[in-house]
Amino acid sequence: MGNSNAFHYEGEKAWCPGCGDFAILNAVEKALIHAGKKPEEVLTVSGIGQAAKLPHYLKSNGFNGLHGRALPPAFGAKAANHHLTVIVTSGDGDMYGEGGNHFIHAIRRNIEMTVIVHDNQVYGLTKGQASPTSDKGMKTKLQPEGVILTPFNPLAVAIALDAPFVARSFSKEIDFTADLIEQAMRYGGFALIDVLQPCVSFNKVNTYQWYQQRAYRLGPEHDPTDRAKALAKAFEWDSGIPLGVIYKNPRPGYVATVIGDTEPLLKRKVNTEKINSLLARLY
Amino acid sequence: MPHTTLTLGGMAGQGLVTISDLLLKLLARAGYHLLATQDYMSRVRGGHNFIQIGIDADRIFAPQPIINILVALDSRSIDEHRHELTAGSIVLHDSDNKPPDINGVRFAGVPMNRFANKAGNPVYANAVALGAIAALLEIGMKGVDSLLNEHFGKKGEAAVEKNVAAAHAGYDHIAKYYAETTSSLPPVKQKTRMLINGAQAIGLGMMTGGLRFISAYPMSPSTSIFNYVTASAAELGILSEQAEDEIAAVNMALGASAAGVRTAVTTSGGGLDLMAEGISLAGVAETPIVIANIMRPGPATGLPTRTGQEDLNLVLNIGHGEFPRFVFAPGTAEEAFYTAIHAMNLADKYQAPVFLLGDQQLVDSYVTLDRLNITKVRIKEHLADPAKVPAPYQRYRITPNGVSPRLPYGTPGVRVMYDSHLHEEDGHITENADIVRAMVEKRFRKLKGMVKETGKPIWYGNKKPAITLACWGTSYGASREAVDALNRAGIKAGMAHFNRLAPFPSREARVLLANKKHVHTVEGNFTGQLAQLLARETGIHSGMPVTRYDGRPITARHIIDKLKEVHGNGKFKRISL
Ligand SMILES: Cc1ncc(C[n+]2csc(CCOP(=O)(O)OP(=O)(O)O)c2C)c(N)n1
Ligand code: SF4
Ligand SMILES: [Mg+2]
Repeated sequence: MGNSNAFHYEGEKAWCPGCGDFAILNAVEKALIHAGKKPEEVLTVSGIGQAAKLPHYLKSNGFNGLHGRALPPAFGAKAANHHLTVIVTSGDGDMYGEGGNHFIHAIRRNIEMTVIVHDNQVYGLTKGQASPTSDKGMKTKLQPEGVILTPFNPLAVAIALDAPFVARSFSKEIDFTADLIEQAMRYGGFALIDVLQPCVSFNKVNTYQWYQQRAYRLGPEHDPTDRAKALAKAFEWDSGIPLGVIYKNPRPGYVATVIGDTEPLLKRKVNTEKINSLLARLY
Repeated sequence: MPHTTLTLGGMAGQGLVTISDLLLKLLARAGYHLLATQDYMSRVRGGHNFIQIGIDADRIFAPQPIINILVALDSRSIDEHRHELTAGSIVLHDSDNKPPDINGVRFAGVPMNRFANKAGNPVYANAVALGAIAALLEIGMKGVDSLLNEHFGKKGEAAVEKNVAAAHAGYDHIAKYYAETTSSLPPVKQKTRMLINGAQAIGLGMMTGGLRFISAYPMSPSTSIFNYVTASAAELGILSEQAEDEIAAVNMALGASAAGVRTAVTTSGGGLDLMAEGISLAGVAETPIVIANIMRPGPATGLPTRTGQEDLNLVLNIGHGEFPRFVFAPGTAEEAFYTAIHAMNLADKYQAPVFLLGDQQLVDSYVTLDRLNITKVRIKEHLADPAKVPAPYQRYRITPNGVSPRLPYGTPGVRVMYDSHLHEEDGHITENADIVRAMVEKRFRKLKGMVKETGKPIWYGNKKPAITLACWGTSYGASREAVDALNRAGIKAGMAHFNRLAPFPSREARVLLANKKHVHTVEGNFTGQLAQLLARETGIHSGMPVTRYDGRPITARHIIDKLKEVHGNGKFKRISL
C-alpha cells in the first residue's frame, strides 16, 4: 500500500506483538482505500479497551469516548452530519458488556454505520478477566473455577433484533474482513461484524489455532435472507464457526427515514421567523 | 396590595388543566399579571391535584399560602384547602355536593355536572366552571365566548355552541343567585400579555441559541422541556432523539457536538447521576454541551412531581477528575429564557459543559410577561475558520486563553480527534507528564474568561439593609416578595440573587454581602448549599439558612416565619403579607 495509504498511521501501536488487532486495523485501512474514501469523510468511534484504541491508529477523524459508550456518540455524530462514514470499533466487553443496552437499542435505531467488534472473548486491556463472550470453563483470576455464565451470542441477539446486516470474520483473514467491512459500509443501516480476534496474552483457550480449526467460510448455499437459517448459523460454534454474511434484511436506515435527503444538521441555521411564530403562540 | 389567589382543585383526570389553561389565557389577554403554580401528585388518575393562580395588576413572583377563591371540582378539594381559606374566601363547588360549614367562608354552589349533562356531555362541566369563575371575578363573558370559539373551533360548530351554552349557564347561575358573592379584580390596562412557563422559556432559549440536537430520557419534572422542543423540532430543523437511557442521551449529544452542532440534554437528578461519566468526558474532551437538570426533591426517586433545590452541590462537582464548567440557576422564566441562550453560546465558546438548574416550580409554573426579545443575546458562531487555523490542525492546540480552535468532523484536509484520555494537542493518547501538565493548565486557563461572563449576582431591595437574603434559582421569587414585605413593614431588607454559581462570582459576592449583617440564604434544601458555597468561595459565613425541604415551593410567609424563629418575633409583628 505504501504512500497511497492516506489512512496509515506510522506511530507506535500499544498492542502486544501478534495481537489480532493489527490485522483488523489493516483490514479497516484496506476497506476504506478500496471504497475510495478520503480520511476527512471517515469517523471512527470507540469506547475503551485494546480494540478501542484503533481510532488513534488510523489517520482520519476519531472519537475515543468512554468504556461501553461507543454507539451513542457514533449515532450523534452521524445524525449531525450524515455525510460522514461512521465506523465503530469496539471490544467484546465494550460492546456486549458495559455497552449492552446501547447495542440492543442501536440495532433498533438502525442508523447507517459499520460496527466492528474485536471479539477476543476476554478483557484484554484489564489483563484477562472473562468477557460476555468467554467460553464456559475458561479460568481467569476472577473466574478461578472457570467461567460459569452462559456466553452471550451477539449474532443471535442481533438477528433476533432484526439487525439489517450481521456478519462474522476472523482477524487473520484480512482481505475477507476488508471485503465484509466494505459491504457493511455500503449497506445503509446498522451493520455488525463480529471479528474473532486472538488475544495472545490473555486468552489461552481461543488461540489462532483454535479458531483456525473451526472457522469456515459460508458458501453460496447459505441464504442470508432466511432468518431461521441465519439464526441456526449463529448458534454454530464448537464444531465449526461460519464466517461471512450470516444475516441480511435490507431496510431503510435512520438517516434515510428520519433525516432524509436534507442538508446535515451541521449546515442548518437558526430560523428566527419560526422562533417568532412560536413566541406568537404564547399570547 | 396582596393579590387575588384562585385555587383550582380536583382529581387527576378531572379537567383541571383545561380550565386552568383557558382561565389563564382569558386573564392574560385581559391584561392581568399571573403566576400559576401546579401541585400534582405522581399519578394519572384520582388523588388530589391543584393549580394556584395569583392574579394582580403587577408582576407576581411567588405563590401565596392563602386562597381567596377556591374552585372545588370535588369535595376533597375543600377538605384539603380548608386551612388556607380565610374570612371572605369564596368556595365555588358543585351544588349537588353539600359543602361543610366553615366560619366566614362564602359558598357559591353551581350544579356544574347537571348543567354539563344538560348541554349534552359531562365534559362541559369545565365550561360551566369557567363561566362561573368569570362571574365571580366580574370579568364578563365576552372574553370567554371568543376563547371558547378559538379553543373548540377545531372540533366543529356544535362543540363550540355547547361549550358556550354551558359557560353561560354557569355564569348566569352565579349572576342570579350569588350576585353579592364576587371578588372583583384590580383595574388593569387592556393589553394582551404573553403567558409562558419555565419549560417553554428554557426550550425557546435553547432553540434561539442555536440548538440542533437534543437527546433525553423522560424524567419528571424535566420532560416538559424535552416535549416542548420536540413539538417544534421538525419545523426548526432540530433533531430530537429519545435515548434508551441517560448514559446514551449524554453520549449521543457529545457525538453530535463533536460533529459541530449545538446540543443539549434534559434530565432530573437520578438521570443526571447516570450522566456523570459523560459529563466528565465532556470536560476532558472539551466538548460543548448544555445540561438542563430539573431538580426533584430527595435522593433516589424522591418526589418526582414536586419542587426542590437539592442538586447544587451535585452539579458543582459531578464528573470525576477536574475540569471547568458553568452552572446557572435562573430565578424566573424570563431569566431562564435569556440564560438558556447564553448557555448555548457559552458551551460553544468555552467547549465545556454548561448546567442549567431548574425545578418543578420553574418549569411548570405559568407567568405573564410583556415580551421576550430574541435578539437581545447575540448568537455568535464559535467554530473556527478552517482557513485561519494553523497547520497541522490540532484539536487541543495549547493557546493563551485555553480555548483551542474547534473544527467539525468532515472539514476538508483536516483530521479531528476527540479523546477521553489525557492527550496530546492532536488528541493522541499520552502519558507524558509535561504534556499532561500543560493540558490541565490549558483547560483551566478558560476560567479567566469564564468568570467575566454573564450571570453575576443582582441586588434587589434596600441598599443598607438590616436583613439580607441570598438566593439562587427559584427561591428568587419568594425572597423578593419577602424583601418587599419587610421593607413595607419598615424593616430594611435587601437580597442578592445568584444566577451563575460556577465559576462563582466571588468578587461580586463579596462586594454585595461581605459588610452586611444578618445574611440568610434562602434555599429549597436541608443543608444550605448556597451558604456552604458562599463560605467556600468568599469566606462569608452567613446566618442560619432559610430552608424548605418538603417538596413545596418557598413562599414569602415561609421566609418571614423562619426569620422570626431566628431573630425573635419583635419587629416582625408588623409585617403584612
Ligand atoms: C466505566 C469503566 N469501567 C471499567 C473500565 C476498565 N476497562 C477498560 S477496558 C475494559 C474491558 C475491555 O475489554 P474489551 O472491551 O473486550 O476490550 P479488549 O481490551 O479485550 O480489546 C475494562 C473493564 C473503564 N475504563 N471504564
Ligand atoms: S492483551 Fe490481548 S487484545 Fe490486548 S493487545 Fe495484547 S494480545 Fe491484543
Ligand atoms: Mg475483548
